[in-house]
Amino acid sequence: MRIVPYAARPGLVTSYLRQLRQRSLTLSDNLFAYVLNLPALVVVLALIAYPIGYSFWLSLHRYNLKRPDLYRFVGIENYREILTDRVFLNSLKVSVIFSLLSVSLILVLSLTFALLLNETFLGRGVMRSLVLLPWAIPGVVNGMMWSWIFNAKIGALNGLLYSLGLIDAYRQWLSSPTSALLAAVFAHVWNMVPFSVIILLAGLASIPGELYDAARVDRCGVFQRFMHVTLPWLMHPLLIVLILQTMNAFRTFDTIYVLTGGGPGEATNVIALQTVRTVLDFTDFGQGNAYAYVIMLITLIISIVYVRLLYKRGSFET
Amino acid sequence: MTARVQTWHERVSWKSIALYACSFVVACYLLAPFLWLVLTSFMTEAEARSVPPHWIPERPTASNYAAFVNPSPELRMVGSRAIEETPRALLNSAVVSLSTALVNLFIATFAAYSFARLNFRGGRLLLMAYLASRMVPGIAIIIPFYILMRKLQLLDTYLALILSYSTFTLPFTIWMLKDYFRTIPRDLEDAARVDRCGWFGMMWRVFLPISAPGLIAAAVFAFMFSWNEFLFALFLTSTIQSKTIPIVVANFATDLDVQFTFMAAAGVLAVIPPLALALVFQRLIVQGLAAGSVKG
Repeated sequence: MRIVPYAARPGLVTSYLRQLRQRSLTLSDNLFAYVLNLPALVVVLALIAYPIGYSFWLSLHRYNLKRPDLYRFVGIENYREILTDRVFLNSLKVSVIFSLLSVSLILVLSLTFALLLNETFLGRGVMRSLVLLPWAIPGVVNGMMWSWIFNAKIGALNGLLYSLGLIDAYRQWLSSPTSALLAAVFAHVWNMVPFSVIILLAGLASIPGELYDAARVDRCGVFQRFMHVTLPWLMHPLLIVLILQTMNAFRTFDTIYVLTGGGPGEATNVIALQTVRTVLDFTDFGQGNAYAYVIMLITLIISIVYVRLLYKRGSFET
Repeated sequence: MTARVQTWHERVSWKSIALYACSFVVACYLLAPFLWLVLTSFMTEAEARSVPPHWIPERPTASNYAAFVNPSPELRMVGSRAIEETPRALLNSAVVSLSTALVNLFIATFAAYSFARLNFRGGRLLLMAYLASRMVPGIAIIIPFYILMRKLQLLDTYLALILSYSTFTLPFTIWMLKDYFRTIPRDLEDAARVDRCGWFGMMWRVFLPISAPGLIAAAVFAFMFSWNEFLFALFLTSTIQSKTIPIVVANFATDLDVQFTFMAAAGVLAVIPPLALALVFQRLIVQGLAAGSVKG
């Protein structure tokens, strides 16, 4: 190739300059990317990472806001205390039962609703909009709404069941430990079902129609089609629903705070509620942080399982 | 499927009857609890407390809503604090949620662009770090967050709420926008480059306008999260200077002698903005939720 002086071919100069600029662009891709990420990183580090570390540090201290003079390092004392504390163990138990009940109910309901909404029928569009309704309702309003539905004297549930002849006297739903817990589960489930329905519907929509045609050719019944086509394809979205809802249930707070306030006694005193009590009512920041850390560890375990399972299935896109 | 003539009992099959019956039950389940709240908010207190309950208000009244704007002297006497606080709390919620949505978009756009377009060292790891921070439960960091805000003297200000909500929604927004940005063809950017637009010019004039649906969806999610959030508001706010609507609704609910119809009306007001957004941007929200979680 003959070397042509740049000055002789002005067009070449600009193209060379452009090349140069582009090369410098690619060279600094790394730098540029981190500059772009800087604001987000600062926020996440300062307001999530730092508090996580600080929380752990505080959980190793005796720290009551009302008695700052008692502030001192106590090591794992707080953890030892709460792990032998009856109130803590109870709230952990309540949370586990609450989560198990909620998640299984959510799975059953959302799968049913999603299968229903996946059929073609008149008014399906309206139904799909309707599904979003409970999702849009703030947890606090949800708790308030259900507290009135379950109200012993004037509640809708009593009124409805009584007029249908299903109960012979008004019941005090929120006063017995078992029914109060069930009421909390119900309220929580109502609020959370839509999210799962949407995920499952997206999963159902991704199943190729030919599979159903093939199953029909093979004379598979409805049940067999469900077992051999629908369910295997839904495993992934079901898994996501399972894990996200477990995490949701485990950290649930606002609905129960308003609905039962943890009562009667400590029957619905889930772990998040107990944490807030420890901090706001007893101003015990040391122990409160120990609580917070236990919740975080449990959530962490769930999310590790989540990410690993998704990775294994090779469906994790970044 | 081949089209063939159907007899009437094939068309009105048991399957479709069952289908409609089931959808009716599901529709009731989804709608009834909230519908009852709405109906109650238009009743007088006496009617709302009647046994057996009235399902439909006999003489619908908007007086419960009017009380928020203009509380009657007797209400003022009773000193129903929550009633007086409702309008201001709605305003606070609106300011905080809107600001969060905007701050969120501003910060997340840069980060999301880097993941959508640049192949950089540590990118994957960084993305995972954002995902991990999305998993951190609010309750786990509320205490140090509270202490931090107290040190910065930001307790009971909008800023504390906006900061915390932005932090919480940021990872999700980044993930969502990253996915959306990847669907936008590169040619457009290259064309803008050839036209000698700088990066900012290209983003502002070409890239962001095309990404509008994704940006709107992300903003709607951030808004709804902030509007509904309760835990952080409980810790970070103390007076009506910054109390958001969930706090006031909770005050209603835990206050024993409050009239239920006011509470119902406040609840309905608190639901309107997120519900309206959910219905207006239904398609975007459904896509966002499905993509955000199905893909991880």
